[in-house]
Amino acid sequence: MFCLRLLACLTLCCLGTAVLQPLRAASPAAKVPQAPLKEAAKEAATKKERALSFRNDILPILSRSGCNTGSCHAKADGRKGFKLSVFAFDPASDYKEIVKDARGRRIFPASPEHSLLMLKATQSIEHEGGERFPKDSAHYRTLLTWIQQGMPYEIANEPELTRILVTPPDGKYKKESSLKIKVTAHYSDNSTRDVTALSHFQSNDKGMVQVDEHGRAKVGKVSGEGVIVVRYLEQVDVARVTIPPEKTLPAATYAKLQTNNEIDSYAYERHKKLGLLVSPPCSDNEFIRRATLDTLGKLPSPEQVGIFLKDKDPKKRSKLIDGLLSDRNATAWGDYWATKFNDLLRPNTQRVGIKPVYLFDQWIRDRLRANTPYDQFVRELLTASGSTHEYGPTALFRDKREAADMGAFVSRIFLGIRMDCAKCHHHPNEKWGQDDYYSLAAFFGSVKHKGQGISPPISGEPEYIYFKPGGQVKHPVTQAVMKPKAPDSPAVEIKDGQDPREVLVDWITNPENPFFARTIVNRIWGEYFGKGIVHPVDDFRASNPSTNDALLDWLAADFVAHKFDLKHLMGNIMRSQTYQISSLPNEHNLADTDNFSRSYRRRLPAEVMLDALSGLAGNPPRFSGLPKGSPAVRTWNNLLKSDFLDTFGRPDSSAACPCERDAQPSAVQALHLMNSKELNERLGKADSLPSQLVAAKKTPGQITDAIYLATYSRLPNTEERKASLAYFQKKDMTPQLAAEDILWSLLNSAEFVFNH
Amino acid sequence: MPQFHSNKNSFKRRDFIQVGLGALGGIGLSDILKLRSQAAAAKGKSANDIRCILVWLDGGPSHFETFDPKPDAPKEIRGEFKSIKTKTPGVHFSEVMPKLAQASDKLTIVRSIAHKQNNHGAGNHYMMTGRPTPVPVGCGAYVTFHPSFGSVVSSHRGMAQGLPPYISTPRITRSGGPNFLGAQHAPFIISSNPNSKGFKVRDVSIPSVVTDGRASSRKELRKSLDQLKRINEAVAEDPAVSFDEFYSQGFDLITSQKAQAAFDIEKEPEKIRETYGRNDFGQRLLLARRLTEVGVPFITVSYGGWDDHRKLFENFKKKKAGQLDQGLSALINDLHQRGTLDNTLVIALGEFGRTPKVNKDAGRDHWSFAMSVLMAGAGIPGGQIVGATDAKGYYASENIYSPEDFAASIYTKMGINPSEVLHDTANRPVQLVDHGHPIKELFA
Repeated sequence: MFCLRLLACLTLCCLGTAVLQPLRAASPAAKVPQAPLKEAAKEAATKKERALSFRNDILPILSRSGCNTGSCHAKADGRKGFKLSVFAFDPASDYKEIVKDARGRRIFPASPEHSLLMLKATQSIEHEGGERFPKDSAHYRTLLTWIQQGMPYEIANEPELTRILVTPPDGKYKKESSLKIKVTAHYSDNSTRDVTALSHFQSNDKGMVQVDEHGRAKVGKVSGEGVIVVRYLEQVDVARVTIPPEKTLPAATYAKLQTNNEIDSYAYERHKKLGLLVSPPCSDNEFIRRATLDTLGKLPSPEQVGIFLKDKDPKKRSKLIDGLLSDRNATAWGDYWATKFNDLLRPNTQRVGIKPVYLFDQWIRDRLRANTPYDQFVRELLTASGSTHEYGPTALFRDKREAADMGAFVSRIFLGIRMDCAKCHHHPNEKWGQDDYYSLAAFFGSVKHKGQGISPPISGEPEYIYFKPGGQVKHPVTQAVMKPKAPDSPAVEIKDGQDPREVLVDWITNPENPFFARTIVNRIWGEYFGKGIVHPVDDFRASNPSTNDALLDWLAADFVAHKFDLKHLMGNIMRSQTYQISSLPNEHNLADTDNFSRSYRRRLPAEVMLDALSGLAGNPPRFSGLPKGSPAVRTWNNLLKSDFLDTFGRPDSSAACPCERDAQPSAVQALHLMNSKELNERLGKADSLPSQLVAAKKTPGQITDAIYLATYSRLPNTEERKASLAYFQKKDMTPQLAAEDILWSLLNSAEFVFNH
Repeated sequence: MPQFHSNKNSFKRRDFIQVGLGALGGIGLSDILKLRSQAAAAKGKSANDIRCILVWLDGGPSHFETFDPKPDAPKEIRGEFKSIKTKTPGVHFSEVMPKLAQASDKLTIVRSIAHKQNNHGAGNHYMMTGRPTPVPVGCGAYVTFHPSFGSVVSSHRGMAQGLPPYISTPRITRSGGPNFLGAQHAPFIISSNPNSKGFKVRDVSIPSVVTDGRASSRKELRKSLDQLKRINEAVAEDPAVSFDEFYSQGFDLITSQKAQAAFDIEKEPEKIRETYGRNDFGQRLLLARRLTEVGVPFITVSYGGWDDHRKLFENFKKKKAGQLDQGLSALINDLHQRGTLDNTLVIALGEFGRTPKVNKDAGRDHWSFAMSVLMAGAGIPGGQIVGATDAKGYYASENIYSPEDFAASIYTKMGINPSEVLHDTANRPVQLVDHGHPIKELFA
């Protein structure tokens, strides 16, 4: 089974980042860059004195030369009969392949120069991958020496590589300056070696800093922070590059800013460092619209807006926040956040069946409406047992049937670590390897299934998920039985009869856990600001640093201190001045797209947009399995037919969780909002807002005001009112048509489509 | 801060690096350039102009009863139908494909595509994306693990004059979604029936409840009321700026007489409509032709109901085979007559072929070891049979090709490098097609 899945993964993925270096893969004619001559000579001199091993000396050359990337010899079935493991995750197999397979013809000890390996790599005979290194290069000589020495796999008492260190690890640099990175390998016998010429370099943000294959970096033209990721064999380190602004603002400027809570202090601290200045506060109208959309996924009613605007209490924003998060909105809050959690958790309906998905959806809603503490929510989910036709969260286990799949899922969703790569090979930019992957999976080794199993697309029969001691998870390469072990933590003993999942959840939800709280506060932050402090929100790693560690730490600590209460967290976020600023930039923050010095505009999500439209145009669409009038945020799977929701980027119903939701605007969306026959017809029907206003014999001015208030959460300004009133006066115009067209115009405007 | 790889605007990215990867990815650089120039050389058409109509015969049509009859096989394999001569000497089709037999000089049948995904869920995915599912999936599964052909073409060609670049009718096929390319490359679905009176393509024109005069006055009104301040500097990444571009594309489309005419199938002469068959499928093919003419680069026409485990011969006779034969032959002949076959790639296939032995219910079951794929246009030679199955139609036996080869052929025809590296949502590199080699006979 593992073998099969391993192949599958290799087929899916694993094109090494190495091949993305243009110089490396340019064309058969292009030369592979070599270490500068001086270093090569030095390296060759030291090589003469010591015995070479496959593990410590040859594998780095294969990796550096791009031989073992997923598009070359590390493809699922190798290339031209020669197969290496991706990024050398299986040295023993690579050794066998090179030295023993193909009847030994790849190595010719009697005349090392004529080894197939040497002839191909230097393109002395035809090689589809071109020349990987020239004859007489340092790489070439090392390989030759190794063959002459009898191709040892390892050498007795050979030291193990323990880590690499990059120098300089961090530093401040002027715009357009240069730096040179050195990579030192440290071994178990405390020896070190300069492996710069054998390492792989990659910049996270090429606008900040670019790096070549020799570790020479060139700083860009903008201020900010960049990271260079360095990989040598399975070890990874990063060099941080800070480019301070030429001009910072005086401290007094920041001292004057309004600070509502710790969030603001940490945000301003960051702005100060980068020379950013926060935008002015947003208006009350913008605030009530933004906060209501972000918290409940709907527009505030005109009455709510009216009351809020009239309120003279200086604490009215805080009062509004309390109201949004109060029990009176528990259902709306739960439904809106269920759409978010469903994107992460909901299995493909056509795989696990309708009833399990429906029950799972109901369970998520129930738990959210009750504001279940987040740690409790996750505990109930991950330790679920029972029938898929009776208890919702078991659907997750029906979907992710293998322990390995559950491990990767838990890691990405709850720990913010994308460990998927490590299923088949070492993560190219991180420390995670297959040991980490399968040790985490081992917590799910004793989850058993009983019943019919899945039979898509109906999967109509129930299945029982239960715990039975004694399950095992094996390492796919070494076949070792893995002990349950969480990332960055010691292995744990599971007591007889104890469900290892309980032990895992104890570890996850422990207040000291370094991943759990940070991941969820970052996710929620991402929902409120359109961007995570770590972004993407589920990709925490040294090579993808957060833009504000202190802020993230504080949010996480406060969240834990308040018993994992999501609403408390949201209250904190909304009360900050950082959340309450305008989306319009000033001269100091125009280019800021990740430090939250201005509010970032976000398109309304599909379900929210549809519900907002239904509130204005009337006649909400009916969804299968839901009572008439149910909002779109209550849809329980993505199969429910809706051109609107598909157009506005709800996830593909054929996709498995976590599924991707497209938040971009598009031309097809514009066409739908403008021209949808159904929507245009709805505007003319009796229960649309325009029809109701006209039926109530409102004046053109009253109609205009009411439509503005309901759509934009504000009244029209003088110019807008004038244009609207003039529209009523047009030749052949009726109040009904004028009202419809005003609403149509607003629905098709940026101010409606975006949360701003 | 982190660097994201964009899979969009690939023309900018499709440079040196990716050509280089082609060299690494198994298809030699020179091969790609050669094939691409051959594709382009087809009467001076650039590969970037090629449009594709993909007819998806969901369920998996029998190869015996379409393009690979076995008249000399025993009755239990041969089935109830005779074989007939085609316009191509020595080539026979099943008797229920008479019109396509007469058009055989304009098309190629590949009889030797084979794979091992013997259920609908997995077979759909393999033949719609060129990639097998990474985990076993069930027969009824609707799954996506990789972008479909149409979505990839969409991401390459992008939207022109507001026209959706990937259209699927009347529905999305199981694995026809964009996967990690994002919803903007999902197919635009036209579900309504073009054979019904008053047919309209949704959303692309002003609905009839809005009169012409009103449409232009409300457009003016919208302009004066859409006042949210835009942040025009690109560094600010204001999504409201791209929003404006999309509206301007949308208005272009509404006002483009050429495009609007293309959507209006009732403008087509009745005689032509009859040739395609006055049925749902035939009219969808005709609509597809009209859409390619205004520049839609990829259209999937989905035609289900080919999963004939029972009563295959009855079902074929009843209407299905006739509609397929009539519609497809009409499309190919029509494109030929209009001189547009050279820049239109026509493909018809399902997820697999059917079992050689007719079962007890007079049906045939799933059989992925052999299938027939019809291909025409875009420089594909006419009157050609590629590969063969054995005497009883069990296994592809000559010039066997994989779904990857099929995918590489489509992409090469459309000017897309099959070895291109995309990035999934976790930013991991994924090769568009894994070691597929374009089917050389299609580039002769």
